[in-house]
Amino acid sequence: MRFSEILHLVWINIMENKTKVMLTSLGIIVGAATIVLVIAIGHGGEVDVQEQFKTLNVGAINVTVSTEADMADAMAGMMPPGDMGGGTAGGGFGGNGSTNRRSGSTGGSGGMPGGQMGGGGMTRQKGVTLTTTDVDDILSYVPDLSSASIVISGTGAVLTDNLDEETDETVVGCLPEYQDISNLELLQGDFITQDDQDGKSKVAVIGNSLAKTLFGSAYAAYGDVLTIEGKTYTVVGVLSEMGTVSSGVSPDDSIYIPYSTAQKFVLGSTATPSITAIASDVNEVSDAMTNITAVLTENYPSGRFTLTDAGSEMEAATTSANTLSMLLIAVAIIVFIVGGIGIMNVLFVSVRERTQEIGILKALGCSKREILLEFLVEANFMSTFGGVLGVIAGFALVPAVRMAGMTVEPLAVSGVLALAFAVVTGTAFGFYPAYKAAQLTPIEALQQE
Amino acid sequence: MENIITMNQIHKSYKVGSDTLDVLKYISLDVESGEYLAVLGPSGSGKSTLMNIIGCMDSFQDGEYFLTGQPVHQMNDAQLTHLRNQQIGFIFQKYHLIQKYDVLQNTMLPLLIRGETRKKAEALSMEKLEMLEMDKRIHHKPNELSGGQQQRVAIARALVGKPKLLLADEPTGALDSATGKEVLKLFSQLNEMGNTIVMITHDLHVASHAKRVINIVDGELFEDEAAQ
Repeated sequence: MRFSEILHLVWINIMENKTKVMLTSLGIIVGAATIVLVIAIGHGGEVDVQEQFKTLNVGAINVTVSTEADMADAMAGMMPPGDMGGGTAGGGFGGNGSTNRRSGSTGGSGGMPGGQMGGGGMTRQKGVTLTTTDVDDILSYVPDLSSASIVISGTGAVLTDNLDEETDETVVGCLPEYQDISNLELLQGDFITQDDQDGKSKVAVIGNSLAKTLFGSAYAAYGDVLTIEGKTYTVVGVLSEMGTVSSGVSPDDSIYIPYSTAQKFVLGSTATPSITAIASDVNEVSDAMTNITAVLTENYPSGRFTLTDAGSEMEAATTSANTLSMLLIAVAIIVFIVGGIGIMNVLFVSVRERTQEIGILKALGCSKREILLEFLVEANFMSTFGGVLGVIAGFALVPAVRMAGMTVEPLAVSGVLALAFAVVTGTAFGFYPAYKAAQLTPIEALQQE
Repeated sequence: MENIITMNQIHKSYKVGSDTLDVLKYISLDVESGEYLAVLGPSGSGKSTLMNIIGCMDSFQDGEYFLTGQPVHQMNDAQLTHLRNQQIGFIFQKYHLIQKYDVLQNTMLPLLIRGETRKKAEALSMEKLEMLEMDKRIHHKPNELSGGQQQRVAIARALVGKPKLLLADEPTGALDSATGKEVLKLFSQLNEMGNTIVMITHDLHVASHAKRVINIVDGELFEDEAAQ
């Protein structure tokens, strides 16, 4: 039989069973739509990560003073449970200011005098505050750094002529180097200068979105004034739109002022400074972190510091996004398999219903290959039909998913992939019923009522 | 005359539990071109098995079978399928028309399976449907036709490929007597036109329309001399 005639027979069968074909294809439709959406969501996640980290330099290292909770966690991780108990009972963990991380088991006997360890243990830790001197020391003694800035951030009450009342906004105190460290781009004006820092100048650089909120537009903000915690600042620069960030401050919604000014007038008593440094070579980040720790430990012998690098954070976030994508793809594959089993079941029923027809065709001279081909083409049609509808549905659902607040970036290749998956799954699952149909003998098939 | 069917010592048995049931017991049969033969037998005599073997749809354990000189006993499944399409026109008791195809599509099937073009298949099918006076109903589905009309379509389908043998299994079994008579008259006309017909029946009256009658009893063939 000519292939065109097999197609003709298949077409007649499909036209005779439109509803059944539609329902059978439903599993494949859902599977294909899922693949398209999953890839769009996965890709959206990657774009999200890239967007969030675009202001971060890959070589950036963030240094903060460890909190008491950080230290407790570290101690718990280092000490066997029994040792930890002894130390706490004896009061050596902190009560006497005798933190002894090298020998936790001695805590039960009272520990070492606080002064010996740098004076203070936990209490001393609370007192550790990073300064611009630490930044200078780091830059002087750590050879793998290209730049560094001390940063302090918190909220401050802000007022402009456009506002009826004060509003709490994020205020960041930093050094001039912070612009390059955080890849901040200016729409207008200049960033904070060394003179501003040295003179504790009341100047501010404001984020794009905040400028619109506070002044009506980004351009109107430049040169105008605002008050932070009752003090008047001149807007010397407005940032370009930077987008969302992974963590920390959002440049679009922040006010940048000189570190010295922030320390004195705004955040000195409420926030803890941190240091952000840039490794001159991405491959030297690990060494730089070790060296920074060494310098700071020299400055604060009892101090504990938490160092994180942007590269690791980016890697972790990307891995997390990839894991999510893989999970969603696994779900989509399961949906496809379920859809394929649906096609297989319907084809089995179809073979049963059409046993006599198969018998007639075989009696009249249809070969096994032709019967197999007819059923396979039918399975292929249903899966292709389902695949096409599924891809269309997937792309059509993208705006709805966006409205739900997710970042989705549909890719054309996902449509091709979903269609290929649909066709392969449907045809593969259709093979067994088609094979069973082809193996029927004309006598047994004709005897079927 | 050329032999259409030559069967030598055909034996067919089935396993029923631990027993062996001999359905055809080393039978021999010759059918010449242009013959109109009826195989007459009661239920369980082996006549359906014989028809299936003649129609190349069933195998057998012993013996030789030549159809138009071709050794059926040496053929594989694909060759048998091809032989059925080329040499045999089947007419079944229950017509066996495909319900979702119309009269014309059903009639064209043997030619389409053979690989003929749709145009040629349509032309040849129309010729046979006109001969059987079914040309006015070519777009009707089988369930829109009477039993007699369906059997005419089945006959048209059997004839369309110009087979060497028309093999009919109880062709009037599902018809009323008047329609049955018409079909039998049609068979006689087809035989007059040179078609070789082998008809399987349990009905003596139906068998009497054939030129030659063979009785089959318990898997053995007996020539009915009286009928000749």
